[in-house]
Amino acid sequence: MIDRALYVGKIFVITGSRRGVGKLLTEHVLENQGFVIGFARGKSSIDHERYAHMSLDITDSVAVLRAFSQIAKTYKKIDVVINNAAVLTSQYAMIMSPQLAQAMINTNLFGGFLVAREGSKLMRKSKWGRIINISSMAVPLEPIGDSIYAACKVGLEKFSNILAKEIAPFNITCNTLGITAIKTDMLDQLPQDKIAKVISDLIVPRFATSDDIFNVFDFLISDRSSYITAQTIYLGGVHKN
Amino acid sequence: MLDTNKIHEIIFEALEAVNAEREEGEKIIINSETILFGDEASLDSLDLVSVLVDVESALLDVCGFSVSLTDDRAMDQEISPFSNIHNMTKYILSIV
Repeated sequence: MIDRALYVGKIFVITGSRRGVGKLLTEHVLENQGFVIGFARGKSSIDHERYAHMSLDITDSVAVLRAFSQIAKTYKKIDVVINNAAVLTSQYAMIMSPQLAQAMINTNLFGGFLVAREGSKLMRKSKWGRIINISSMAVPLEPIGDSIYAACKVGLEKFSNILAKEIAPFNITCNTLGITAIKTDMLDQLPQDKIAKVISDLIVPRFATSDDIFNVFDFLISDRSSYITAQTIYLGGVHKN
Repeated sequence: MLDTNKIHEIIFEALEAVNAEREEGEKIIINSETILFGDEASLDSLDLVSVLVDVESALLDVCGFSVSLTDDRAMDQEISPFSNIHNMTKYILSIV
């Protein structure tokens, strides 16, 4: 029998909660009785008694600081931070717009830093916390067109590992979950032949399901995973050479 | 109103939080001459980070805007704001 109350009393911050993987994770936490504070640039797409939405741009350091200050006053603590928000433009580097490349760096790397930074400060007080940064199979598979996107995710993974060292004394873990292709809005932007090639390169050559993601997500957040930190777990059998 | 007494109160509170984690006999003696950084400091690097985070957070609550104690301006001071509480207080008063 599946326990549907994994997250009673736990407060999550999930970035990019309006759609895609962020929305799936938010719904999973809500289903498991957790409370989610969702960050996204747009309005909420979730209506639930245990969901609070904050419309903000995670690349704006002042906005992120204010959001966490408000969270501290209202909720007093955060247990889990999920750095999921990301933007993807897949294009040959030679014709990649500098503005779009900069936008990816800002959201995918700098935004993740800002959110993890403020989340760590709050978790420090309660001496328990979990940070999960969402990475991508683009890191090990290095698909054409994903140079900047993959570079951001590599940066996020390295940031995650060093942050893990810095916050370990506070009983906070920080790990990275490298997800494979799952049918989301982001994936719809890519050419289907490219997706088919990426899927065929996986050891388990199929799309990820939401449960594939939830499995590792729950594992990393579990109380029993306090000894698991500074790790990157990829789905689908992809791995770095 | 942010004055010397209020800033002392904020810094002392941050140091008390560090002391709360320490055993008797290892606690920091807190006064305006308490050294925060350097060979003679009673704080290790993680303690100092905790103190800075708590002080910045309290200043945000009191002032309503964020104050960074570790930006270029702080690093460029002739007398380090981290040398002792007196100098940190002076530095905070100069930037708010």
